[in-house]
Amino acid sequence: MSGRLNLLAGLAFKHIALRKRQTLVAISGVAVGVGFFLAVSALMIGSQTDFIKTLIDAAPHIIISDELRSPTPQPATLAYRGGAVAIRHQKARTEVRGLKDWQEILRAVDDMPGAIGSPSLTGGITLRLGGREEAIGLVGVEPGIEAKVSTIEDNLRVGRLRDLETVQGGLIIGEDLAQRMGLQMGDVVGATSAVGGTRTLRIVGLFKRGAGQLSASSGYVLLREAQSVLGRPFIINRIGVRLADPYAADDVAARLERRFGYKAESWQERSADFLSLLVTRNVIMYSVVSAILLVASFGIYTAVSTSVADKVRDIAILRSVGFSEGDLQLTFVIEGLALAAVGIMLGWLLGYGLMTILGSLDFSINGEHQSLPLDRSARQYAIAAAASLASGVLAAWLPARKAARVDPVDILRSAA
Amino acid sequence: MSAIVEARGLTRTLPLDPPVTLVDDASFAIAPGSFTAIVGPSGCGKSSLLYLLGMLDRPDDGTLLIEGRDTTPLSGDARARLRLERFGFIFQFHFLLPELTALENVSLPMRRLGRLDRHAARDRAHMLLSELGIGEKTAKLPGHLSGGERQRVAIARALANDPVLILADEPTGSLDSVNSQRVVDTLHQVAGEQGRAVVCVTHDGAIAANADARIEMLDGHIVAGGTMAAS
Repeated sequence: MSGRLNLLAGLAFKHIALRKRQTLVAISGVAVGVGFFLAVSALMIGSQTDFIKTLIDAAPHIIISDELRSPTPQPATLAYRGGAVAIRHQKARTEVRGLKDWQEILRAVDDMPGAIGSPSLTGGITLRLGGREEAIGLVGVEPGIEAKVSTIEDNLRVGRLRDLETVQGGLIIGEDLAQRMGLQMGDVVGATSAVGGTRTLRIVGLFKRGAGQLSASSGYVLLREAQSVLGRPFIINRIGVRLADPYAADDVAARLERRFGYKAESWQERSADFLSLLVTRNVIMYSVVSAILLVASFGIYTAVSTSVADKVRDIAILRSVGFSEGDLQLTFVIEGLALAAVGIMLGWLLGYGLMTILGSLDFSINGEHQSLPLDRSARQYAIAAAASLASGVLAAWLPARKAARVDPVDILRSAA
Repeated sequence: MSAIVEARGLTRTLPLDPPVTLVDDASFAIAPGSFTAIVGPSGCGKSSLLYLLGMLDRPDDGTLLIEGRDTTPLSGDARARLRLERFGFIFQFHFLLPELTALENVSLPMRRLGRLDRHAARDRAHMLLSELGIGEKTAKLPGHLSGGERQRVAIARALANDPVLILADEPTGSLDSVNSQRVVDTLHQVAGEQGRAVVCVTHDGAIAANADARIEMLDGHIVAGGTMAAS
């Protein structure tokens, strides 16, 4: 079998060597296709990976809140469960908000390998300074734990999360908010909650400008400070969970929700819109780059077609010698494969070069130097090679089939 | 001795409008060791009959037996295999692959058959070319050989797999008298070696006269000749 393959490959290489210009055009086409496939996909997949990483890191992988997917049934409804009655206009029973038995939930989270939970209390307050008022979302956290669960520490321009523990009434706000209110590090600002609690807070840290909601309308304080300001002692309404494997967040969230009843939202659920957008983006990207590879394979089709047309007499000779239709088809498919293989290797080099150039580009965003995120994984090289080989084989197979169907008698008769 | 090839009512018609009958009801047998000439005017169906015998073409009617085996039900691949193992073709215009050297052209059928490895095939090809008097030109491409030399390379290729039947289509048609005689002598020499038979389509009266048997054709019909005996 290998002897047959060697023989047919030898014939195919002789054909290729005879037509240098067409061979060069076909190989160049594949190389350019593969090179640009690698560059474009590296850019697209790289930016996607970077974006997903940002999504994952922006907040805890799972947020357990004191909300329920469905409202709690009212007592009157429970009294007639299964009955053929509809109860309307009930006066809803007032519930105390907050996560009940949150210590148990936290223990369950911390018992999971590699997982850590951070309790927090959120609520709305108004900051007052010199007649200016700004409504913000206040988040009370345990700095030591919160720093392990979220990346807010990375978003600090000035100060540290731990400073909340060392400074009485410490508050961290964003640069955007600080600018609007004319606040600076160490300044004191009044805070009032909806229940009337009033405190004086001191700025101990500033989030970076452009860090979204964090910078514009959030404030971080110590958990017990938030409980005091919001008038909800010993209560928390949120547990942020960080997992060893962020991609397990969906499953873990579902398990926690089933067990404790509270809404547990994974980062995938929170970012479902973005993720579906990425799928669409990938479909568009792979369609475009596949089209590039397909067009590149036209060169192979032309080269093999011409080869078949040029070698029609040789085909008849080989048939008379005893070569089968399959032998001839395989010979021309090998020809296409060889062109594709050389094109792929040159395309890899071209793609590597293009990625090196793209990777060296430096952009300044918000005063920070950033380079393009690129996915240089071997997977992209393998996808480019597989797609090119497949299109190359298809492109060669069509004329090869024609070669196999050549009637040797017609050729021999016309040559005589 | 049983026939190498037996044709029973072979008929081949081209589906044109009107249909053209190339070979009509041809029946004969080729005995081992015989040299048979197929003669007749141009366009009488000699080459068509040869292509049918070599299984390059399929008859519309009739049966072709190779060494007693009916070839009718054989697939294309099986026919190609049989051709590779048992037949050798020689054409008027040598029909060598131009990008292969003389040695590579002769090695080709042996390497495809796979009974000999690459080196053994080259050794045998060298031996065959040497026996045919062109052992020093094995590395030449066909374009660098004379007409007579090319035809001898074609004969060597036909003999490569030690066939039982050589089918030659006007093998001297494009050669001068000296080379023609040399080719004819070679064909006569190989006929009879190990029971090998030669069927030769020719216009050359000398070849026909020296043949063990003649099949005369006219307008697709065999008008003279029949079952042949070995010399």
